Amino acid sequence: MFMESATNVPDSPVTAGNGVGIDCRSVTAGYLGSRVLHQISFRITEPSIYVVLGPNGAGKTTLFRTLAGILRPYEGEVFIGGEPVDHQSSRDRLHYLTHMDGLPDGLSVREALEFFARAEGAQSGDVDRVLDQLAIRDLSAKFPSQLSAGQRKRVSIARVFLQERSIYLLDEPTANLDPKVAREIRELILKLSREKIVLYSSHNLFEAREIARYVLVIKSGQISRFDRIENVRGSRYVLGIRVLQPSPALVTYDHEGEYYLRELSGPEEVPAVLRELMAQGVQIREAREMENPLEDLFT
Amino acid sequence: MSSPATKYVSRSLYSVSVRRAWVTGRFFLVYGTVISALLGALLAHFSASSFASSYPLFVPIFGVVGSMGGLTVFTSDRTKGVLEYLIAYGYSPRRLFANVLLTTLVLVGIVVGIGVSVSLGVYFAEGNTATSALAISVGVYAVPMAFACAAFASTVGVYWTALSSPRAGINSPVGLIPFIGILPALATLFVIVAATLSGPLSTTTLLLILGSAMGLVAIFVIVLLASMGRLLRRERLLSQA
Repeated sequence: MFMESATNVPDSPVTAGNGVGIDCRSVTAGYLGSRVLHQISFRITEPSIYVVLGPNGAGKTTLFRTLAGILRPYEGEVFIGGEPVDHQSSRDRLHYLTHMDGLPDGLSVREALEFFARAEGAQSGDVDRVLDQLAIRDLSAKFPSQLSAGQRKRVSIARVFLQERSIYLLDEPTANLDPKVAREIRELILKLSREKIVLYSSHNLFEAREIARYVLVIKSGQISRFDRIENVRGSRYVLGIRVLQPSPALVTYDHEGEYYLRELSGPEEVPAVLRELMAQGVQIREAREMENPLEDLFT
Repeated sequence: MSSPATKYVSRSLYSVSVRRAWVTGRFFLVYGTVISALLGALLAHFSASSFASSYPLFVPIFGVVGSMGGLTVFTSDRTKGVLEYLIAYGYSPRRLFANVLLTTLVLVGIVVGIGVSVSLGVYFAEGNTATSALAISVGVYAVPMAFACAAFASTVGVYWTALSSPRAGINSPVGLIPFIGILPALATLFVIVAATLSGPLSTTTLLLILGSAMGLVAIFVIVLLASMGRLLRRERLLSQA
């Protein structure tokens, strides 16, 4: 895994590991001359999930579009597996899920997936596989206009499972999905990330915290943080404790719903606090961090 | 550079687009075909003497209306992110535009083919005979001009759609393009009418006017298609997020 600033990215394209990676070099990109991304540089070679975070308008979708070769950088270059992203060999290594559904009108779900399968060089048998994998077989004869937003999203996600590729660019893949389906999709993506590079954008910070191994934060078109998730700490650490029985030992704690709250200087204090409470006879049912440290990345 | 998969799907993209244009634009297709055939049949039955001079005027109009499904698919694909997907998988914008044009030409072929066949069928069934005026008006003007107008409408519609914000209704490119698409036919008619003010037109002059009109439309369409790479940047094809 490489995380390097613009100044120390090497000149040669990335070929480390399995030979496939993303090398974004001093990229400035945008729309019709208006610059959204400014001098973005990073390299990724390790299979994992990289959650791309940022406020609305920060440039997340522009970054995905640039990495997918849809937008041409005004400055800088993007290499996929050592090849410029505009080369077909680079495109054949990528799956790109747009934040839109991207489902063609006038085709049923099955017909749309067959169309995508042909576009991606997959087999028609793969369509049947993903219909079962994403539990959308019952939708296969329906047209996009007959589907709910969540169903459309599931069908849209199905296409990135038609054929294995090395790099997955997933722009808000779980938006509009109900919690159960969103969890199933996250599990599929987690499995995928064992061998593949997955860039995943989301507005859901709890989801990001659940699946990310790395976070890449974009603010005003620039990368403000690229780090392992465990290195991201909030400005305050609040421990929430749920107990089986109320206890006098917790009388000094604040309340939030069923949770007793205590602000600590960091997670390293948690074991000692829990030991102390258990020594006082407190029966702990659950302990968790109440604040999401990723929230601080937006401020 | 295209992968084998991309080349393969290019061939099927046209057939899929025609099918989708039928599903999403069947109102236009049925309307253009039925009205064109009905008008032609009624004229051939009730006023065979004016059939050769009147019927060809309608053909390009209904050809343009009937072929709007091609532009409808393009507009929908842009709004819903399908074009973005196809570009990401290696389709050039020019190939996507050419797909709209080919789809439109297939649709106008259906409208004109059925409309003209029915109308001429009724005309000959009524015992009328073929004349050179009929051959010129249908074979040299109506049919080629229908294709030319549809190609013109499709190309202008693609540019307009790509250069404007996504919007629906009568104020959208799909709503307005039929009126613009028939402009070449109307302009040609004006020229013919103006030319007849100074006396009857010879067949040579008429063919010259029609040939020039068709040539100008063809040049216009080819120039716009050839310039798409420079005039329309890729971001014009993306949905607005």
